[in-house]
Amino acid sequence: MSVVIRRAVIGLVFACSCLLSLAAAPAQAAATPPQEVVTGWYKLILELVRHTSNYSPPVAARSFGYIGVSAYEAVASGSDNLQSLAGQLNGLKALPAREKGATYDDAVILNTVMEMSVTHFFDRTGPTGQHVMKKMAAKMDEKVSAGLTPDVIARSRDYGQKLSQAVFDWSATDGGASVENMGFPLEYKLSDKPGHWVPTSLIRQQQAPLLPDWGKVRPFAMPTGSSCRLPEPPDYSEKPESAFYKDANEVYTTVKTLTDEQRTIARFWSDDPMLSPTPPGHWINIALIVLDQEKADLPTTVDTLARLGVALSDAFIGCWDTKFVFDLIRPITYIKKVIDPKWDALLITPPFPEYPSGHSTQSGAAAATMTHIFGDKLAFDDSTHAADGIKPRHFANFRAAAEEAAISRLYGGIHFRPAIERGLTQGDCIANYVNALKTKK
Amino acid sequence: MQKAIRSGGLCLALLLSPTAVLSEDAPVPRPLTPIFQEEQAAESGVDTVYNGDWEFMVGGGVSTFDCDDDRFPDMLLPGGSGKSVFYHNESKKGGAIRFKAKTSGLEIDKLLGSYAIDIDGDGIKDIILLRLGENIVMRGKGKCQFERANETWNFDGGKAWSAAMAATWERGNTWPTIAIGNYIDPEADMEPWGSCTDNWLHRPETATPQRKFANPLPLTPSYCALSMLFTDWNRSGTPSLRVSNDREYYKGGREQMWHVDPGKAPVLYSEEEGWKYLRIWGMGIASYDLDFDGYPEYFLTSMADNKLQTLQTIPKDGKAPAAYKDIAFAKGVTAHRPYTGGDWHPSTAWHTDFQDVNNDGLVDLFIAKGNVAEMPDFAKLDPNNLLVQNARGNFVEMGLEAGVASMNVSRGAALVDFNLDGLVDLVVTNRWKPAQVWRNVTPDAGHFIEIGLKGDGGNRDGIGAWIEVKHDEHILRREVTIGGGHAGGSLGWHHFGVGKDTDVAFRVIWPNGEADDWQKVPANGFYWVSPKKAAAKWE
Repeated sequence: MSVVIRRAVIGLVFACSCLLSLAAAPAQAAATPPQEVVTGWYKLILELVRHTSNYSPPVAARSFGYIGVSAYEAVASGSDNLQSLAGQLNGLKALPAREKGATYDDAVILNTVMEMSVTHFFDRTGPTGQHVMKKMAAKMDEKVSAGLTPDVIARSRDYGQKLSQAVFDWSATDGGASVENMGFPLEYKLSDKPGHWVPTSLIRQQQAPLLPDWGKVRPFAMPTGSSCRLPEPPDYSEKPESAFYKDANEVYTTVKTLTDEQRTIARFWSDDPMLSPTPPGHWINIALIVLDQEKADLPTTVDTLARLGVALSDAFIGCWDTKFVFDLIRPITYIKKVIDPKWDALLITPPFPEYPSGHSTQSGAAAATMTHIFGDKLAFDDSTHAADGIKPRHFANFRAAAEEAAISRLYGGIHFRPAIERGLTQGDCIANYVNALKTKK
Repeated sequence: MQKAIRSGGLCLALLLSPTAVLSEDAPVPRPLTPIFQEEQAAESGVDTVYNGDWEFMVGGGVSTFDCDDDRFPDMLLPGGSGKSVFYHNESKKGGAIRFKAKTSGLEIDKLLGSYAIDIDGDGIKDIILLRLGENIVMRGKGKCQFERANETWNFDGGKAWSAAMAATWERGNTWPTIAIGNYIDPEADMEPWGSCTDNWLHRPETATPQRKFANPLPLTPSYCALSMLFTDWNRSGTPSLRVSNDREYYKGGREQMWHVDPGKAPVLYSEEEGWKYLRIWGMGIASYDLDFDGYPEYFLTSMADNKLQTLQTIPKDGKAPAAYKDIAFAKGVTAHRPYTGGDWHPSTAWHTDFQDVNNDGLVDLFIAKGNVAEMPDFAKLDPNNLLVQNARGNFVEMGLEAGVASMNVSRGAALVDFNLDGLVDLVVTNRWKPAQVWRNVTPDAGHFIEIGLKGDGGNRDGIGAWIEVKHDEHILRREVTIGGGHAGGSLGWHHFGVGKDTDVAFRVIWPNGEADDWQKVPANGFYWVSPKKAAAKWE
């Protein structure tokens, strides 16, 4: 058991600009909970996801996985009640341990881990991101170090650095560490068979699909990328009596007759890369909202962020595995060719194959993971896009949010119904592996 | 029969008759390669560096203008964290390009860009300085001397981070309306995202005669503008204000266009009016009527792919949806990654302009390129583009052959005929390295005319006019504007290449909508044009 000795009041300034008073409250009562170190950094991470150009949803999900595990292990390493994920996650062997009997500070360890993780996983962010990261690190370091003896600070930092490095070494071997050209291969051979994906964008970079090999990235909890592979989508056909045509016609007519509510839902879950925290970032933000709402303690905070990060990352790996097995045509391509050449989708069609819907898979996995932790009756208001002028939406539980996220892709005109419904199913399958992880001793 | 089917053997003829209509199957002759010769700093006299850290990642705009009535364009280059430098043009007609730095009153730090404009209608160019901090209006006193006029003209310079400007003379006004585009809140360095500060619209005072500005109107919402342009997109006679915004920093933002109707508050174009939900890293605007339909196309610089917008529907009587479609891919101007140098990462584009660099009668497209600073997912070696238009209206990259494929981290630029030889020259600013000057020495270039406007009333430079030039089967059209590009623009001669034409018919449609009669003048000349008067040749 580690002994955490805080000798003074610690205040933290976070990216959310919450300044905790140093002077007004009694010493122990005003000490900053270490989980706020984590959530403070996560709020900056969500901005960096939005503003780092190679952060497509799969890449963002991967970083959420590793950062979540790092923060969890930083705490678990000093806890009698939390069990390390080493030996449970693919390829993660024993991690550095704390020195027995020595004094550490959880906030300093967490701050070191978070700073190193952000610096490492966002090393390609632009000058503004770098500028803010340095400012954040300096302010956080000053706050978490206040009142601690130099030896505790040094020992805690040293441990945080060793732990982070071990996670970086682990992450380097998963096959997803190097993403160039924002994830679009410079060369790619498209299928010339009917019903297969063709580019839907006039952007040059997107004439090849995003991250076609992402399904081969090593998952965290799911055994392999194909462990939750879906069955074939409906047979491709251009005949009006075919199931495929009927699915396409549903997208066509739905978009042509959208209600205001459907339009709002489509926009709410649009989560475009570089214009939002991406779909996995949306769910991380939901977790931050719920953690704050539930006044979660440190173990719950890091357990939630680790499990959710793992679930999101594995969801994109599993989803991408299926996507590139079936390489299915997008609604906009089919509808323009077969039904109405003047039709247009509400949302921008993402530059990769259709089946299954990535948002559905990852939302299904996220909801099942969050439900495992918080139960199926936890209501919340999702204000992820408030700063963009989009009103919060209320959800009775996580599954309701996932189902709305999934159907939003039909309203947006970018997915057929089977990709949506089966995506949710695939998410459930992936979450089963995540929920089997043991975090409590 | 309209279609002129030509074989490859007729390439030479097409080079100098490029706007002839080609059948879709006919091979397209390669346009005449423009050739630029870089003038080294020791000779050109230009060595200003656009310096500075994070706060100067945008800007670097160039303004050119003639401030001593010798008709040679002079130039102001920003120094970023260092001081700006005014350069007097000491070139000889047809000779090497030579500048000399001179004290003018325009020397100031924290300058991101500038635009020339004759605010008070005295025939002497004034300059608006866009800065990190207070923007400053400098009144031209003549002989390239300038003095601060913020207080005299009630121009509130604010204290924002400004890199965009556009100006118009609203119908009936003798004093300009100026839009200033502001960027991130410089104080919000922990939370720069979502901190875009309001753009301002400086209209004239309501009293007459108008001799100063009213207090500025905020153009809310604002989304970190990096380029603005007053443009009569639908030829209604009333320009609207296009604003290109940097999506890196706004939240809930998009590309914008404002109705700026005289006497009314500005109102944004809506989706109901056709204006689409476009979000790019907007950094620069160039406009020109590329397809000869009377309505300008707009090139928008960004990161990775750039946009070339054309109207979806041709307006009737100025009434049409403000709906544009992107034809950059089809026209070959996505300019999304370096074309030479081996760096395959996506590009970052800044200043842009349409000018005819080989005088074949078709405007070409220049784009200044350069990494923001240290963005490893974008090209570090990012050559400037010179996309030369071919006879089918597509563009061919010729930056390398032309000699302008600089790998410096470029920002601002100006394409101007500095030595008045009828060929458009080039200056480009660079972060952390001296600006570069190129002289256009294209052999066998076509003929040209250059037109200077002398408008009535306060709008002495005819801002908002359209200059039309007949060439081949088409009418070349250029809208006379102040704004666009990236943080800088040129005010002076308006250049048109005319191929082999020896006589050129042209007319001016003035900002009040009155069109002069067509008049024919010999090619290869410089002409002053005033309303309802015969063009006066300048020797």
